[in-house]
Parts: sequence; structure tokens; C-alpha cells
Amino acid sequence: MKSFFLRLWVPTLLLCCTSCMEEQDFGQVDDLNINPRAASGILYFESDEDTINATGASNGDVFYSKLTNFEAFNKDFMEDRLLEGEIIYELTNTTSKALTLEIEFLDEGGNRIYGEFFEIGAHPSGTLTREVVYGPGGLPLSMLTNTSDLRLVGSNLGDSSSVSAEPDPKVVVKVAGEFLVQLQ
Amino acid sequence: MRGFPKLLVLIVFWTVGINAQNRQLLYDFQEVPQSLMLNPGMKVSQNWHAGIPVFSGLYFQAYTSGVTVNDLFANDGVDFTTKVRERAIQAMGRKDDFGSTSQIEGFNVGFRGRNRPDDYYSFGMYGEFDIISYWPKDLAELAYEGNGGDNIGRAFDLGDLKLRGDMVNVFHFGINRKVDRELTIGARVKLYSSIFQFQSLGNSGSFRTVQGLDNIYRTILEADMVLQTSGIQEFYETADDETSGSRREDLVDLFTKRVLLGGNLGLGLDAGFTYQLNPQTSITGSILDLGFIYNSGDVWNYSFRGRTSTEGISVFLPEDIDQVDNDLWRKLIDEIEEAMPYGENSSSYLSFRPLKAYGSIRYDYGEPKGGLFDCDCDIRPGRRPMREYYRNSLGGQLFLMKRPRGIQAALTAFYQKRLGRVLSLRGSYTIDKYSWTNLGLGLNLQAGPINLYVLGDNLLGYSNIADSHYASLHFGINILSWNGN
Repeated sequence: MKSFFLRLWVPTLLLCCTSCMEEQDFGQVDDLNINPRAASGILYFESDEDTINATGASNGDVFYSKLTNFEAFNKDFMEDRLLEGEIIYELTNTTSKALTLEIEFLDEGGNRIYGEFFEIGAHPSGTLTREVVYGPGGLPLSMLTNTSDLRLVGSNLGDSSSVSAEPDPKVVVKVAGEFLVQLQ
Repeated sequence: MRGFPKLLVLIVFWTVGINAQNRQLLYDFQEVPQSLMLNPGMKVSQNWHAGIPVFSGLYFQAYTSGVTVNDLFANDGVDFTTKVRERAIQAMGRKDDFGSTSQIEGFNVGFRGRNRPDDYYSFGMYGEFDIISYWPKDLAELAYEGNGGDNIGRAFDLGDLKLRGDMVNVFHFGINRKVDRELTIGARVKLYSSIFQFQSLGNSGSFRTVQGLDNIYRTILEADMVLQTSGIQEFYETADDETSGSRREDLVDLFTKRVLLGGNLGLGLDAGFTYQLNPQTSITGSILDLGFIYNSGDVWNYSFRGRTSTEGISVFLPEDIDQVDNDLWRKLIDEIEEAMPYGENSSSYLSFRPLKAYGSIRYDYGEPKGGLFDCDCDIRPGRRPMREYYRNSLGGQLFLMKRPRGIQAALTAFYQKRLGRVLSLRGSYTIDKYSWTNLGLGLNLQAGPINLYVLGDNLLGYSNIADSHYASLHFGINILSWNGN
């Protein structure tokens, strides 16, 4: 038993002393790519038909035009990391009038970079959906990374007195996005 | 900031890890005085012992329950990002952990009472560094995959963040008493001198993006997260003080002060017993580090609490028709920050030591050559040798440890062979969450008064240490005295 134990122990001790390690390359960590896909709501706009009528806008007049700052993409963190993106627009109109809506992307100096223009008919016009891709195969990412403000402009192509028979007639604009970001 | 994920990966796999927890080879290894640190109620044979300062107990142990260093860093031509995704992100669960502990014994001395030879007193000092972090599965997947795509609707659990770490210097004093022929009991009190401590344990909350009530997506964040730290800020400020011309010396002074009871203090207790069922069979048990540290100095705690949800910038007409400024985005950010305040405070807190327990049963056989065996001899100094060991021992051990995610257990079978008084060898097989093939071997060499021990774990893993889930090494040198030495 003693010799058996010694025979077991001595080679194992030698194995322990001569332990080895396969070649490791810790520099591989530089090749790590972490590119999560971030999703978020961006803008929600809703106006009832009474408000549109109350502005008196008709035949293409603007019933709403407001600017808001929007710095989700042009801050240092995102500016260098945005790889691609997709902005989803969903519009529904249950009012009695055709409308146009445009979302303008403006740079820091207030200059228009570009805009997404929508024309939607009077009810029933269903839901208008548009997906706009930025980055490879789509619009330049700089359109997003240079954006500092958004302006929503709504125009009434109809009259300013009719009211839809639908309950709670209104126009709704939904904007959300998914963006591929290079975290590492 | 860009380098943070890289730094995190390096830290995680660098600290895979040295863990001074289950020391199955040392437990009840009666020839090694340091085994008293694992069971203050162990049977003690020597008349006195003194560890060689700093070299009496050096202990390093490594484990990972999930991915190994080799899994990720082997030079195998596989894309590193693919390896991280397939072998870590997709393969590891929230119960997988990483840890790191090392222990260095400053000094360790023991002696038998002159007036009470049944009592064996021991005292000493050792430093211990310990860190454990569970794999933050949901947070890792959120960082790696994001909340978009297939993760719409998924709740990422912020409670996955669980980590704890500290460095302490421990002063201890223990008494071991042979009550009678069957029973030996012991206890050890510990004074903890904390060098630094941090913990983030009781986190809860979630982050999820779902179909919106109004907009397409709604993002909901609920969080109750706290990171408590003590002793770190002063080190950081000292190291960062560019006006000081003696930063290195200042850091050493600060470290020395903390080591020598100049930092946060705590108390702890170990207790244990050995009971002889018959001359050849004994059972043992011990509980270790039943203690706490009261962190009141240099405390900085960080909290992130609240609940918020957002669907982006929202404009409702006619309610917002008079909204004339263009700060809707800034207001949205301000609202989120207000709902999810990031707080700091310096409130004192208690941190508990990782509680551990051992139990064992042991069967001795094979009379020593001299014919002496467990004789209950006179243990008064100057008398005949107190006890002669059987030549063989066979037994099993159970180890339990309280971890942030519950009790962790390990089961060990061991065989010990003694070759006279000079050499004692011990082999063990341990099964736990880290390995089912953990074979360990230990050696204790007694050359006159010089005692040398080397204990190594999971030896099969040494064929490629980077691919091992578990490895440990423990060695030390002591001077021992029996009667007549």
C-alpha cells in the first residue's frame, strides 16, 4: 500500500510542478465587439380634430409647427458609436380631412438636414407605416448624428369646420427607433 | 468609457480567481498546525509551534464555475467576440461566480499551557483579500444584445448584480482544550482590521421595453440598487493627489495604518470540536468567521433608486398647444433623472464575513511501528510523546459556505498515509459546483523541528491550468516542538 501510494503521489507531484498551459493570447480582448441594439420611443404627437379646426387652417395651411431640441444622437457617446439605425413612423388619421405632416431634422445652427414627409387622407385612411434605414444601405448616419432639433409641421388639406363621425377623431404620429451601437 | 467593457472583461477573467474558501486538504490534517485555523477544536499533538513569519501560510486557490480562461483566450483562431458570445454570454447562468482570495499569514504561534497542559493556545495575524462576483447574466445580455430586436418585451433583472470584496487583516487568539479522552473543543476570537470593503448585494429592479400605450415602444426602468464602499475613497484620493510628492509613501502609510487597527474594525468567532466515537473513529465540526465589520470610516455609498417609464417626447393637443419652448427633450431627460436619482451618502454599514462550516468523519487504522497509538498519554510538557498517529486514515468531509446566492456545498473523501513521524501524505477527491474531478494531494514533512507542508488541489487541471475550473496551492513552514524537542 505504501509503495502504491508513493507511486501515485510522486508522479502527481511532478505533474503539479511541471504543470503547463496552452498558449493564451490575452491581446484578443482588443478584438471584442459589443454592438447592442437599442430600441426606444422617440416622438408621439396627437391632435384632436377640434384643435385643428380651431386654428382655422385649411387648404394646406399649417395648423401646427413646433421645434424641440433632440440630442439623442449628437452627443459624444452616440456620435462615434452609431453603426446603423432604423426609424419607424406610424400615422393614423381619423379626422374628416386629409393632412400632411413632416418631421424635419435640423442641425445645431437650425439648418434643415432633411425631412420625412407624409400625406395621409381623411378617415378611413388606415395606418401609414414607414421604416427608414440609416447606415449601410440606407440614408447617411450623419443625418442623425448631426441632428440637434426636430420640427413637426402639420398642414390641413381640408376645411376647418367639418368633424368626423368617428368617436374622438384625431391624428396620431408615432415615431420610434432601433439603433445598433458600438459599445466596444 | 469606451475601454470600460474591455477593462471589465479583463478584470473578470483576471480574477478567475483565487478563492480561499474550501480547504479540504488542510482540514483536520492534524500534523499541520495551520489546520487549527479551520477547526479550533482539532486534536493537537505538539507542545508548541511557531510559524516562520510570512512563510507559515501562503494560500492561493482558483476557481470558476463557468467559462475558463482557456475558453476565451486560447490561441485557437476563433473570433474572440464569437467566443465571448457562445462560451460566456449564452453559456453562463446567474449562479455562476468568479472570485478571488489570497491569504498570507503574518505570524502564527501556539503553545501548551504550563499549568493547564490540556489547553493549547494559539494566536497570530493573517491578511486576506477576498472578492466574489456573480455573473450578471441579464446585465451582460443587455449590454451585449441590447433591448431591441428579440428582446422587446423582455425584463432584464438588475438584481443580477451581486458582488462583494474586501481586504482585511485579522488578529486572532484561540484556545483548544482536551476535555476528556473523547472530546476536544476549541474557539477562536478574531479582530478584523479592514483595509477596504465594498459590496452590492441586495439589488432589485428591472429594465424592459414593451409595446407602448401611446407610442410604439415604452421603456420602463425600476431600480433599487446600492453600492457600499469603505476605505476606498481615501486610497483613491491619496493615489490621485498630484500635489503630493510622496504619494507612494503616503499609500504605504495608509495601508500600514489600516493593517494595524487604524481602519474599520470588526469581531469574529470560530468554534469547533473533535469527538472520538471509538479509538479509531472520530467526528469533527467547526464554524468559521461568524463575524462582522462595522464600516464607519471613509464610507461612500452610491444608490440608484426609483421608477420611471418613457415613450419619448410626447405632444398632446390641445393640452400642449401653448407649449412654446423647445426644451421637450431636455425636460424628458430631466424627468427621468428626477425619477431615478443617483445618490451618494456616507452612512455606516455592517459587512458580514463569509460564514463557513466544516464537518467530517474519520477512521484511523494501522498501528504505528512503535506500537503506540491513541493512548491518551500525559500531555504535560516534558513527559512522553502525547500521541502516536495511526498509519492510515480514511474519511469524508462536508463543507458549507454562505454565499450571496445561498449555501454552497462541497463533499470530500480523503485518504491519509503516514510514513513514520517524518512524512504524511494525503489524497482527496472533492465534488462541488466547480469540478467533479477534483483530485488533491498534500504532503507534510517533519524534519526534526522543521515542519513543511504543501497542499495542491485539482491536480488533473494542471495539464492546462488555463482550462481548469479550480486550482489551489497552499504551503507553509513551521517550527514544531513535541516533548523532548
